[in-house]
Amino acid sequence: MSLRNIFRTVRSTHSYLLRYNYLGASFSNYKSVVPLSTNIPALKDEKVKVTFVLNDGKRIETEAKVGDSLLDVVVNNDLNIEGYGACEGTLTCSTCHVILKQEDFDRLPEEASDEERDMLDLAYGLTDTSRLGCQIIMSKDLDGLEIQIPETINDARS
Amino acid sequence: MRRRFCQLNLGAVNSKRNITTTAQCQQADGLELGVNSKQRTCPVHQRPRSTHAALETPVFGTATSSAKSWEEVPGPKPLPLLGNTWRFAPYIGNYSVEHVDKVCLSLREQYGDCVKMAGLLGRPDMLFVFDAREVERVFRSEDGAPHRPAMPSLNYYKHVLRKDFFSAEENCAGVISVHGDSWSAFRTKVSRVALSVSAAAQYTEPVAEVADDFVYRISKIRNKDLETPDDFLNEIHKWSLESLSLIALDTRLGCFDACAGSDSQRLIDAVNTFFLCVGELELRAPWWRLYPTRMFKQYVAALDTILSVTLKYVERALEDSKTGGNKSLLQELVTAAGPRVAAVAALDMFLVGIDTTSNAVASILYQLSLRPAVQEKLYEEITKVLQNRPMRPGDVNQMPYLRACVKEVLRMFPVVVGNGRQLTKDTVICGYHIPKGTQVIFQHYVMSNSEENFVSASEFRPERWLLKTSGKHHAFASLPFGFGRRMCLGRRFAELEIHTVICKIVQAFRMEYHHELLDYHIHPMYTPNGPIRLKMIER
Repeated sequence: MSLRNIFRTVRSTHSYLLRYNYLGASFSNYKSVVPLSTNIPALKDEKVKVTFVLNDGKRIETEAKVGDSLLDVVVNNDLNIEGYGACEGTLTCSTCHVILKQEDFDRLPEEASDEERDMLDLAYGLTDTSRLGCQIIMSKDLDGLEIQIPETINDARS
Repeated sequence: MRRRFCQLNLGAVNSKRNITTTAQCQQADGLELGVNSKQRTCPVHQRPRSTHAALETPVFGTATSSAKSWEEVPGPKPLPLLGNTWRFAPYIGNYSVEHVDKVCLSLREQYGDCVKMAGLLGRPDMLFVFDAREVERVFRSEDGAPHRPAMPSLNYYKHVLRKDFFSAEENCAGVISVHGDSWSAFRTKVSRVALSVSAAAQYTEPVAEVADDFVYRISKIRNKDLETPDDFLNEIHKWSLESLSLIALDTRLGCFDACAGSDSQRLIDAVNTFFLCVGELELRAPWWRLYPTRMFKQYVAALDTILSVTLKYVERALEDSKTGGNKSLLQELVTAAGPRVAAVAALDMFLVGIDTTSNAVASILYQLSLRPAVQEKLYEEITKVLQNRPMRPGDVNQMPYLRACVKEVLRMFPVVVGNGRQLTKDTVICGYHIPKGTQVIFQHYVMSNSEENFVSASEFRPERWLLKTSGKHHAFASLPFGFGRRMCLGRRFAELEIHTVICKIVQAFRMEYHHELLDYHIHPMYTPNGPIRLKMIER
C-alpha cells in the first residue's frame, strides 16, 4: 500500500523533475549561489598582485582579481600547490592554511569567524598569524600581499 | 630516508617508556608494539600532513618496511565460523550493542591504541583507533573521495530495493551510503550551498521562532511539579524536525501540534524506527541478507515513509517557490543542481539530521540542569548580547561561552561515539600495515574522555575551549562533526539550531534535575538512558 503511494509520488515528481532539470550546474551558478566575497563587489578587471612563498623558498608571483579569495587565486591561476583547498572553500578542512605577516594579518578587514577558527584549530603548524586562504578576499588594499604556504602542503611534491 | 626512520624506531624502542599507553600495549600481547604516545614511535608521526599531501609521499612506502603485519594487530580472537559477531549477540555475547561505549573503553584497556575487530559476519574487518594523532594522520592523507563505511542496509535500500529512484539520474544517490565519484559529484553540488556560513545565517530568525514555539510548548507540557514529561525526548524530536523541515523543505510542518497519524508524527516515528533498526541490522548477524526479517521490513517501511513525505513536501515547496522571491536553501539547491538533487539532499538530511540534533540538545539540557552555576554564566552572557531583543544573525558569535558549553558536552558525550573511514589504499596505522578496504573506526568517545588528550577529562570545563593558547589539547581527539571533505554536511544548520534553542531555553528557564542520575547508552545515538524529567522554572 505505502509502497504504491511512494511510487505514485515518485512518478509524479519524476515528470516534474524532468521538466525542471538542469543538467549539472555551471560554475556561474555556484557563484550566484554562494558569493565567495562577503562584502567587496568583484570589480571588473581590477587586479592586484599576490605572492605565494612556498616552503622550499620558491616564490610564485601572480595576479588576483579583486573580490576573489586566495583559494580562487590558486585555482584560477592553476598554481600547482598540492592538496590546497580540498573542501572547495566550504570550511570543512584546513588545507588552504596560509601564514601572513603580522602587519598583513592585522590589516585584514575581517577577523576569522567562529567557523573558520574551528577549522584553524585543526590546521597543521598553526601560528598566531594563520588564516584560511578561502576566507581571505582580495581587495585593492591588499595589493602586493605576500603569504607563506606552510610546510605540510607542498613538501609532499619534492 | 629509510635509514632515518629505522633509527627513529630504534631510538624510541630503546628509550624509556611512557607508562600509560605502552604499558597497555605490552599487556596486550607481550610485544613491543611501537605505539607510544609521547615518543612518537610510529615513523610517520614525524610528519603530519594536509589532506591529499600524503598521497604521493614516499613516507608510506618507507614506513611499510618497518611496520608490522595486519595479522599482528591485537584484538579479540574470532571463533571459527561464528567470527566475532556472537560477542554482540543478546545473552551469549559479552559486548552489548547498547554499551559499545563501554566495550570500546575496555577494548582499549585490554589491547591498546589500535584494536582489530575481525570476523564480523558480512562486514569487512574493522580497526578501532584510539590515538588522536593517528586519526589526524588518516584524515590528512585522505584523497578527494574518502570512503565512509557504508551502512550496508541503507546501501541495499538505495542501490537495490529503490534503485529505480536513486539511479534514475546520474550522481543523484545522495551522500549517505554513497561513495567515490558519484558521492563526490553530489557532495560538491550540495556542500557549496549547505555549508556556506551565510546560508545558515539567513535562517537565524525563523529557527529562533521555532525555538520560541518550543519554549512555549515546554511551559505547556510541564506537569504540576514543573517537570518535563517522560517523553520529553520525543518533544525535542518534534522541535528538531520542525527546524529541519523549515530548512530543508521551506515548510513549517506544525510538529508541536502533531497528532498520531499526521505527516509530522509519521515522519518522527519513521526516523526513530530507522535509527533503532540501523544499529541492530548493522552490528548483529545480518539475517536480513538472507530473508526480509521483521526488523528489516520495519526499516524499509520507515525509509519509504521518509522518502514519500519528503518528496511530497519538496514538490510542494517547488511549486510555491516559483512565486516567492527569497532564496531559501531548497531553492538554491534547485538552482544549483536541480530538483532531484534537492529532494535527495532533503531525504539524507532527514535520515541523519533529526535525532542527532535532538539527542545532542537533550544531552546538553540534561548536563546543564546538573550545573546551576554554568546556567547562570550562560544566562548572563545571553542577556548581555540580546538585551531583550529578538535574535539576529551573528548573535551566537558573540556568545563564546555558549559555544564552549556545547563543545564540552559533545566532547564528554558525543552523540555519535565514533567516526570511520574505509581505507582506499594500504596505510600504516599505529605501526601496523593496514590493508585497503579495512574499516577504520576512530573512537572519539574514548579519545575525548582520556586524560592523554584532555586535562581533567572527566570534569565539565567549558573554559578549556576558550583558552587562546594552542596545543591545549589534541585537536583531532574530539571531532563531533568529523573533518575534511566528508565532514557533516548539516553542521552549520545543526550548530545554528542547537545554539539557538539552548540560548532560548536558558533565557526562559532555570533548569533543575531531581531524580536519579542518568547513565548514557547508545540508542543508537549516545544519549541519557531514561526519562529526561527536567524541572523548568521560569526566570
